[in-house]
Amino acid sequence: MSRPGPAQIGHFDPDTIRRGAIACLPLLPSTIIFGAVLGVLASQRGLSLGELLFMSLTVFAGSAQFVSVDLWRETIPAATIIVATAVINMRYILIGASLRPVFKGRPLWVKICGMHMVADENWAVTMTQENLANPGFLLGGGIFLGVVWAAGNIAGYLLGGGIPDPEVYALDFAFTAVFAALTIGMWKGKVDLLPWVAAAIGSIIGHYTLPGTWSILAGAGAGVVTAALTWRPDMDDDSLEAEIAVEGREAYGAPEGTGTTGSLSPEASK
Amino acid sequence: MNQFPDLTSFSLEAVLTILGMAAVTYGMRLGGLLMADRLPQHGRWAHVLERLPGAVLISVWVPSALSAGAIGIAGAVATVVTMALARNLFAAMAVGMVLVGIGRYFFG
Repeated sequence: MSRPGPAQIGHFDPDTIRRGAIACLPLLPSTIIFGAVLGVLASQRGLSLGELLFMSLTVFAGSAQFVSVDLWRETIPAATIIVATAVINMRYILIGASLRPVFKGRPLWVKICGMHMVADENWAVTMTQENLANPGFLLGGGIFLGVVWAAGNIAGYLLGGGIPDPEVYALDFAFTAVFAALTIGMWKGKVDLLPWVAAAIGSIIGHYTLPGTWSILAGAGAGVVTAALTWRPDMDDDSLEAEIAVEGREAYGAPEGTGTTGSLSPEASK
Repeated sequence: MNQFPDLTSFSLEAVLTILGMAAVTYGMRLGGLLMADRLPQHGRWAHVLERLPGAVLISVWVPSALSAGAIGIAGAVATVVTMALARNLFAAMAVGMVLVGIGRYFFG
């Protein structure tokens, strides 16, 4: 933690992995309960526990797994399930793209190893770190969530019921709450305002007009388009120079204009 | 329902279906990153990419707060306000979840 900057930390430093795991601790109760709910559902739909765990660790995407397990039948509708998974997980293209600064200057193998255990939760926690976290931090959160998710699956599958209803303890709201709270940490200044408002409006419109998780893409798309349209070349290097020039001109002009009391003014003699 | 749970059997079609799901998901995760690596580091695209995480995050939770109804919207507002004031993730989540829990108990 006392290390100077992310550049000096190794690709997957054990200490950083541990910190990444600890940062996802607030998500433990909800992740384990939802993992258990999925375990119960899987046992009813005829997946073996081994198949479910295999899915949880290879696909590692909660909402897509819920839909897929719900679609699961004795004759598996493989194409439907894979297409549904692709549609629901399409946001990961955007999430992957936004991780560019976390993997900046890292070799390809680090990207290949680091991009698997990326869920919405550890991504959001990583993106809001003060000194932008490195791949190890992201992976630590992913491993933690993966272990908890799989433990929940096992518990739900074996208990087959008797799992507390997540809604009673507002555990379903934990995901909404963590994303809402982390949004504050992503604020970088006024340039975020319009894209964020556009994202909110886009996702609300999408929520009422589109099925499933398309609202995420609608909102993100609206935010991206707004960000592209509101960009100006002077946004990167600040507009300090222009302001000084304007003030300077006024400073020269004002005394001469107001101070012309008589024929001593140079302009009057011309 | 009442049969003993099937723990270890792996059917070929199940494994292939799961591998298909995993391939598209991982492909999009890694593909998004590699595509972004090809975008310019400065200018309009860099600016857009910097706004992207906030836009995605907002689009994830705003609809889910709406789905939770009036109490969900109130809980999300309470969470955001607590986070803005206290800058503490635990506290912000706790305030939102307790509010939603209590709200559902009394009005749900």
